Amino acid sequence: MASVIEADICIIGGGITAAMVALRLAEDTSASIAVVEAGGRTDPLEERFEARQRYMDYGDTPYPGDHIPDQTARGIMSRSMVLGGQAMHWGGTTPRFTPEDFRVRSLYGVGTDWPIDYDELEPFYQEAEERIGVSGEQGPEELDPRSSPYPMPAIPLSWTLDRLKEWGERSGIPFWANPVAKNSVPYRGRNVCQRCDTCTICPTGAKYTPDFSFNQLLEEGRIELHLNTLVRRLELEDATDRIEVAQAVNLESGEEVELRARSFVLASGYAWGPHLLLLSANSRYPDGLANRTGNVGRWMTGHRPVSAYVEVPMELYPGIYSRHSLISNRFRRPGPLDRYLRHDLRIWESEVGRQPRLRDDDGTLLLGDAVMADWRSRGSQGAARLRGYYDVLPSRESRLTLDSSLRNDLGDPLPRVDFVDSEASLALRQHSEDSIRGVFSELVRAGGGRMLRSGVQDIYDHPGGGARMGDDPESSVVDRWGRTHDHENLWVVGAPTMVSGGCANGTLTFSALSLRSASELGKEFPSTA
Amino acid sequence: MSDSDRRSFLKRSVTAVSALAVTGCAPGSEPGSEAVEGSDASTSAALPPTTLEAVGEVVLPAELPPEERQQVVAGFRDWLAGFRPVVEQNHGYGTSEIDYGPPDPAPAYRAQLLALDLEAQRRHGSDFAALAPEPREALLRRSLEGVAGTGMPNPLTAEHVALALMARYYDSAAALDRCYGVGIARYSCRGLSGMTDRPAPLEGV
Repeated sequence: MASVIEADICIIGGGITAAMVALRLAEDTSASIAVVEAGGRTDPLEERFEARQRYMDYGDTPYPGDHIPDQTARGIMSRSMVLGGQAMHWGGTTPRFTPEDFRVRSLYGVGTDWPIDYDELEPFYQEAEERIGVSGEQGPEELDPRSSPYPMPAIPLSWTLDRLKEWGERSGIPFWANPVAKNSVPYRGRNVCQRCDTCTICPTGAKYTPDFSFNQLLEEGRIELHLNTLVRRLELEDATDRIEVAQAVNLESGEEVELRARSFVLASGYAWGPHLLLLSANSRYPDGLANRTGNVGRWMTGHRPVSAYVEVPMELYPGIYSRHSLISNRFRRPGPLDRYLRHDLRIWESEVGRQPRLRDDDGTLLLGDAVMADWRSRGSQGAARLRGYYDVLPSRESRLTLDSSLRNDLGDPLPRVDFVDSEASLALRQHSEDSIRGVFSELVRAGGGRMLRSGVQDIYDHPGGGARMGDDPESSVVDRWGRTHDHENLWVVGAPTMVSGGCANGTLTFSALSLRSASELGKEFPSTA
Repeated sequence: MSDSDRRSFLKRSVTAVSALAVTGCAPGSEPGSEAVEGSDASTSAALPPTTLEAVGEVVLPAELPPEERQQVVAGFRDWLAGFRPVVEQNHGYGTSEIDYGPPDPAPAYRAQLLALDLEAQRRHGSDFAALAPEPREALLRRSLEGVAGTGMPNPLTAEHVALALMARYYDSAAALDRCYGVGIARYSCRGLSGMTDRPAPLEGV
C-alpha cells in the first residue's frame, strides 16, 4: 500500500528552478506546496569550511551524497541529484540573455524565434536577480539593457583584472565585471563574499545555493519537502488529460509513494524533466506525456566554447580573485550581420605557462632554488584566458531518448542525450569558430602579447531543451508560460523549455523563466494579497 | 565556464595548499572510513622525520628560512596523515563520471625515504641526512632520474616523496607570495577589501 501525499501544487525537483517556483508560489498564493526531490541533503553551510578544506587538500567531494549511484545517463553534464541540485556546485555566473537571443529568426533568418521576447522576460530577470542575489555592474546601455539596477554593486575588479580590462579595451571592445550570484554586500541574511576563491564550494554562504531558499520556506512552513523520493511516472485521470498522481518511491525505505495535487510542476532540469515525460507513456500517450506531437526530448540546446590562453605584456599577480572575470556583450548584440555569428566574450586571469615546474625547457630536473628562480622568470609576463560561447542552433534531432540498455535499480530506462547541430549551425560552425579566434587575435594585436594556444570544446554547455516552449503545439511541448499543450495541470519550467541555448551561461534565464511560469500558475490558486 | 576550465580549476584546487594547517578531519562519508583513517595516520606518522627534513633541504628553496622550511615539512606530514584513501572526488559540472581518489601514498613514500637512507649508507657509510649537501643532492637526483613529466605532479600520486613534498609546497599560498614577492594570500578567505590594490611587497623576499 503506497503512502499518499496531497498538496495543491507538487513541484518535482529540488534545484534552482524548483526553488524559484516555490518561492514565488509561496508568496503569491495560499496553496499548499509539496517539493519532491529524488536526492537527499548534502552538507549544511556550517560544515562547508571543513568540506572546502578537504576538497582543497585532497580533492574529496565537498558535497557528499549529492548523487544517486544508479541514476545516471549517457550524455548528461552532471550527476548532482540532491536538494539544491547542480546549483550547489555552480560558479554563480548570471548573465542575462540579450534581446537578440529571442528573435534570431526575425533578425538573422536562422534558428527559431521564442514565443516571448526580452521585454516580457525582463521583469523576471530582475526578480530572479533579486531572489538569488546578484552583484553586477551596468555595462554600456546599448549592450546591456536593464530596467533597474542590479540588486548589489559589482564584486570589485581585482588589481589584476583591472589591468586585464585595460588590456582588453585597447581593442575598442568594452568590458565590465561579470555579474555573479555572490554577495558584494551582506544580502538577505547571507554573508558578504570573503574571496575564498573556491566558488564551487563556498564556505561562507555568499554564493547563492538553492538550499538557502528551501530552508527559508521550511522555516516559514510554506512547503512540505519530501527528500529521497524518486518520481517514476505521472498518471492521468481516467476521463481527462489532467495529471492525477505522480507515482514515486522512497529510495531509503523502498516504500511506494503517491503524490496527488491539483497542479504538477516539472522542475527537474533538461535531462530528468523530459525523461519523466517519456517514462510516463500510457495507452493514450504511447510516446510519453505531453508528447502528442513528438517534441518531447527534442531540440536539445546549448552553446559551444572557443577558448584561448594568451600572454599579455604586463606584470600580473595571479590569485587575488581568480574566479572573477570580465564580460562583453559586444558580439552578443552585433547589429546587422552578413552571416550569423553571436557569442559572448570573457576574460579571466590565467597561470598558463607561469606555474612552477619540475623541468626547464632543456629537460633539466630543477630542485631547490632553481625551481623558484625558473618560476619567477616566467612570471614576469602575465597571462589571460579568453573564451567565447557561440550559439548552436538546435536541431529537431538533438535528442533525449530512453536508453533501454541502461536502467536504474528499479528497472526504469535512463535517459540518453545526443546533441546534434542543425544543418544551419553546421554550415556556420567553421565561420563561428574562426571568427571568435579572430576576435582573440584582435585583442592580442591591439593589447599586445602573444597567443599561447586556443581550442574548441565539442560540447553543449549549459544544456537545455527537450520540452521547448512555443505557441504552436506542432513544434513545441509547452506554451509560452510553461504549461504543457496536452495537459492543463502539468507545467515544465526552466531549462527544458528553452528554445535555444543563447550564447551565455543559462542559469539566470532558467530561473527567470521559472518565475514567469510560477506567476501564471499562481493565478489558479487563492491569492495571499 | 567551460568544462575544461572547471576541470583545470579542480585539478589545481586538488593540490592547492591552504594557508591553514590541517587541524582535523571531517567525519568520513564513506563506509569504513574511520578504520581506514586510523591506519593512514599510523603509516604516515612513520615517515622517517630526519630523512624527510633532509629531503626538504635539497628540494625546497634554500632561501626559505630554516624554521619555515621545517614548517613546510611538518605540514606535509600532517597533510599526509589526514589523507583518506579512495574517497569520492568532486564531480562538479561537465561530467557524469564519479571518480575516487588514489590509494594511500604513504607506504611508498616511507619506503622511498628508507631507500635513500640505505643507499646513503651503502655509498657513503652514513644516513642520508648526515651527508654533505653535494652527495645528498646527487643521490636524490639519481633517485629521480626516471621521473616523467615537466609540471609539478599531484602530491598524492607523485612518483617520489621528494616530488610530493615539492608539489605540496609549490602549490601553497606561501610559495606564490614568495615567487611574486608580494602578499596575495591565495585561497585564504580575505574579504573583498584591498583587492583593487596592488598587493603589498613582502618584507625579506
